[in-house]
Formats: sequence, C-alpha cells, structure tokens
Amino acid sequence: MNLERVVFGFVIILALTFNFAFVMGDIDNAQHHNVWILTIAILINLIATGLKLGDRSQVGAVLLASSLVADVLLITARIIWIVTQTDTDIGPSAASMANIVSLCGGALVASIVSVTILVGETLISRR
Amino acid sequence: MATTSELDRVTMVVLRYMRGPVLVLIIVYAIGITGMALIPGQDAEGNLEYMSLFHAFYFFTYTATTTGFGEIPNGFTDPQRLWAIFCLYLGVVSWLYAIGSIIRLAQNPHFLLALSEHQFAHSVKRIDQPFFIICGFGDTGSLLARGLSDHWLGAVVLDTDPERIKALVLRDYRIKMPALCADPGVPKHLVDAGVKLSHCKAVVILTVDEEVNLRIAVMARFMNPDIPILCRSTSERHSEHLTTLGNVTVINPFEIFAQLLSMAITAPRLHNLNSCLVGNRKARLGRPLDVPTGHWILCGYGRMGHWLHKYFVRNHIRPVIIDPDVGEVAGAAQVIHGHANLNTLKEAGIAHAAGVVAGTDNDHDNLSVLMCVRALRPNAFTILRQNTHENQIAFDAAQAGLILQSSLTTARRILKHLISPQIQIVIDYLREQGEDVTQQVVERLRSAIGDNKPHLWRINLCKAEAFAVAEYIQKNERLTLGELIRNPHDLEKSLSCIAFAIERDGKRIMVPGNDEPLRYCDEILMCGTEHSETMLNATMNNAYTLHYLVTGSDAPRGYLFKWLANA
Repeated sequence: MNLERVVFGFVIILALTFNFAFVMGDIDNAQHHNVWILTIAILINLIATGLKLGDRSQVGAVLLASSLVADVLLITARIIWIVTQTDTDIGPSAASMANIVSLCGGALVASIVSVTILVGETLISRR
Repeated sequence: MATTSELDRVTMVVLRYMRGPVLVLIIVYAIGITGMALIPGQDAEGNLEYMSLFHAFYFFTYTATTTGFGEIPNGFTDPQRLWAIFCLYLGVVSWLYAIGSIIRLAQNPHFLLALSEHQFAHSVKRIDQPFFIICGFGDTGSLLARGLSDHWLGAVVLDTDPERIKALVLRDYRIKMPALCADPGVPKHLVDAGVKLSHCKAVVILTVDEEVNLRIAVMARFMNPDIPILCRSTSERHSEHLTTLGNVTVINPFEIFAQLLSMAITAPRLHNLNSCLVGNRKARLGRPLDVPTGHWILCGYGRMGHWLHKYFVRNHIRPVIIDPDVGEVAGAAQVIHGHANLNTLKEAGIAHAAGVVAGTDNDHDNLSVLMCVRALRPNAFTILRQNTHENQIAFDAAQAGLILQSSLTTARRILKHLISPQIQIVIDYLREQGEDVTQQVVERLRSAIGDNKPHLWRINLCKAEAFAVAEYIQKNERLTLGELIRNPHDLEKSLSCIAFAIERDGKRIMVPGNDEPLRYCDEILMCGTEHSETMLNATMNNAYTLHYLVTGSDAPRGYLFKWLANA
C-alpha cells in the first residue's frame, strides 16, 4: 500500500461523489439542489486538478485533461447560479436550474472518466 | 523538354482523346438549340411564340440523351416536330460516338498502363512507415512478402510478369503491398516504387536473370547512393560487379542452402535455434536434429551440389558424389557417373552410409532417391532438396530427416537481414563459439519463453523510441539490461525475452548478461514473445514504470507529492 495513492484516489473519488450528490434530484427544481454541495464539489475538483499537475506519463495527461473539463463545467454552472439566483424566492428559475444541473451532469461524466482511468491503471499494474 | 509528371500524362491522354467527341457534341448542341429557338411555335391559345434559348437547351438535353419528356412547355407545331426528329437522330448519334470514344480509351492498353503506373506511384507516396522494394515476385519474392507481412513490415513489389502481379493482389497481407507490372530495370519504375523516398529502407532484387539483377542494382545505386541493396546472384562475375557498387549484400541461394545443410550436420543445436528464429513450424526449440557424421552420399552435382560439396569438405566430410555429368572433384571420396538409383546407390556404399543428400534440381528425382534409400538403408539420415513450392504436399508426406527448400531458405535469410542485420551476425558468432555456447543461449531462451514461438525485434535506446530510458541514462544513472527487462507485475521475474546482441559505437556485445550496463542510443536485438515486446515498449516510454523496476518503489507523481517527498 502506498500512502500517496490512497490520498490521490480519495480526492478523485470524493470529487466524483460530491458532483453526483449535487446532480441528484429533479433537473429543474431548485429545492432539490444545494448550492453548498456545488461549491464544495468545485473545491475538491480543484484540489484533484492540483494533485494531477506534474505527472509526466500518458495516463497522467488524460487524467489532468478530464479534471480540467470538470473544473470548467462546474465553475460555469456556479456562475450561472450567481447570475440567476434572484430569479425567484427559492433561487434560480426552472429553466436556469435545468441549465445548471445539465452542466454539472457533463462534469460528472468527466469525473467518471477520471475514476475509470485510475481504477483501470491500478488493475493493469496488478502489483 | 520539360518533364511531365504521371498525373499530367494521364490527364493529357484523356483530354487529347476526348477532344474530337467534345467538339462534335458542342457543334451538334449549337445547331439543335439554335434551330429550335428560331422555328416558330405556339402557346396554349394558338398565338405565335418562339421557344426561349433555355427551353431549347432543356428540350435538346433530354432529347439527345434519349430521355424524351415530351413536348414541353407547349405542344409543338409541325415545323418544330420536324426539327425535333432531326435533333433526336443527330444528338443520339453524336452521344454514341462520344461514349464509344470513352470506352475505347478505357480499353486502350497503353492508357491502362499509364493509369496503373499513376495509381501505383500515388499509393507508394502515401506509405508513411518504413518499407522495402522487392524486384521480382517469384517463389522467393512471395515468401519474403509473406514473412514481411507477418512482421508488420510493408513492401512494394515490381515484376514483369502480369500473372504474378495478379496473384499478389489476391493475397491477404496484413499490410497493403502496392505492386506494379513493370520492368524494375527502368529507372522511372524504381522511382515510382519509391527508391528515393526516405521511408524506403532497402531494395531487394530477386529476379532469375543475373544480368537484369545487376542492371537493377546499378540503377538503384544511381537513384539513391545510400540505400542498402540485397541482390540475388549465383555467378562469381556478377557478384564481384555487385560488391563494387557499395552497400550491396549478395544473396547466393546455393551458398545459403549449403551453409544451412552444413550447419544441420556440424552444429545441430545452432541449426535448431536458427530454424526456430526464422519461424519454422516443425522445429521445437532445444530439440535439435540428430544428424550423424560419417559416410555421406551426395546425389546431384550441379551448382547447388558444388556448394554442398565445398561445405562438406570444410567440415571434414568426404562425400561420395553421384551425378551423370561430373568430372574429377577434389576432396570427394569417390565419384560415380550416372543417375542416382538402386545400382549407383549400392555402388556408393549405401549399406554403411550415415546419410544421403538428394540434391538434384528435379523434385521427382529427389523423391525417388528417397524411396531407394528407404528400401536399401531405412535408418540413414535423409536430406531432401525441394525445388518448387508447388510440390509442398508431396514433400510433407515424404517425411525426410530434413527438407530444404532453396526459395524458402533464401527468403528467410533476407527477412532476417531486413528485420535486423545483427541476427545473422549473432548466428555466425554462435557458429564460431561452438555448440556449448549455443546450448547455453538456447537454455536461457527456453527458460525465458518456454514453449512459445520466439519473436525477434530490435530496440533503440534513443529519445524517439525509448523516451524514459534515454532520459534516465542521460541523468547519468546506471541502468542494467536486467533492470530494463524486469517484469512490472512481479519484480522477482523478468519479461519473457532475452537480449541477443547490443550494438554500441560500431562494436557489438554478443549475448549480454543481465548485469550489462546500458548506454544512450544502444541498439539491442531482442528475442522473446510478442507480448514481452509490448510490455518492454511500455516500460521504455514510462518513467514511473522504469523507476519502479529499478528501485522497487513508486516515484511520487505530480508536483505536490514530489515536493512533499523532498521536504
């Protein structure tokens, strides 16, 4: 067992799960989605990106790329939330909410790619 | 005179051929359309109306091509109908003439030749990986192409026989092999085949005509002064001429055949290793043939027999020679005039013979010699020469001690040379070192690959091919061969491969041990399973795997973890 791999795997899988936690619920219902979870998901994703910086292998490059995609999508979603949160009393309108959640759905796919590559590489090395 | 490219030539031929028909069509269209526009017609109410030029063109187009939509836009008057009849016949006849011309052009053999040359040159230019030019696609050429395809290497084929080229098109090669039916001795065809391209790695000349071979070699040398040339030659005069060209490897099928045969007799373990390396399916690594020395009978003393005898004498065997037209032979125990049959074999002392070589240039004679030997001395070792590939099934059924097919042995030798010239050097080295060293190498190879088929490949420890290794060595860190071929799945074990030779600054280290330190840009000849080649390639280009193999622990990945590790 390697402590570095534990930390690395923990952060990447945590990023995926937080992303998933935010996306769960009706796509256009603001009450089903918590802005705090979205913010934490962004933070963890940024940390994951930081950990991936400087890996010179091919796999490392793809991991970094998928992480950057997730960052871009999540941050875009958060910006839309800021702009539209005054739409109604409970937050963004249904149409804006659908936009935000579908962007986060895209980020979720990127996170799944990251985790799949991580698990795949670990299985292939079979140590 | 300005030179024209192939494309220009094909386009020019088409244009020149179509000049007449196109001119006729334009004139006929002009007459028909003008007439239709000038002849008075009528509209639906019967008022006088002339057809517009556009409608006239529309009418003529569907009439001349026999489509016939009818009288559009209004019903025609009688003068118009009269003109329509004229238009119909004129238009249809001129179209038939034009189409006939196109078909005649497509059947013109010279045009087809120009077209196939153009297509060939175009497909050669698009090859984006190393390839070889094979001139002459006979038995040897086709076996060589098959071998190259098995190793994922490409080739371009030139042959003068259209039947051979047609046969090639139907083969299921792993890699596309463009072929052209043309004389390879013509410089233009060599250029079309890519002799000047940087991807072209060698020219292999295998036609049966010595003069033609020499001519092709000279042309290829002039076209590209640096390219390696491999040329088949059996005559001394031509061989001398060829070697003066520089960077030419002369391939003498008879000599290769004799070398192999003598190897089978005097160095059976090396022969066994060589057979396995060249992909002989019947050979099993570590189970050499048991070829006896002693009294040998050589049936057939032509060019091949001459070489066989030379190698026999070199190995201190004095054979009895049986041949209908042979003079005195130095070194032979006895020379018997006549065809090999029951009587002559008896005379040659078949009763106490250790082995018989049936080496005439006639497959039926060779097979009948085998039958005689079976009858007279069943436990003599028989070596059979197979001349044509067609008789394969008969020879398979013959179950001789060893069957040597000249075209196959030649093709395999060339293939070895094309994969890496080092292979033959290693074989020659082992030959000099003797059977004990060979045995050690075979044992090492067997413990590495087990019963798998050995596969040869070369690696180069330069930046382009082995990024991680080159970087590691350039940091002045010590890396040994054993560390490089460790198994990433299990550090206790090695990948199933061994190194045959390392080439460094023009010097060679033969069969290096695992503690051999590696240097930047070493060229290594590896032998192992195909799977180990993939694994080794991954190791050579992944710095983390390499670090793990050398130290046994994972290096920190990423800036943060690296910083934490150093802090």
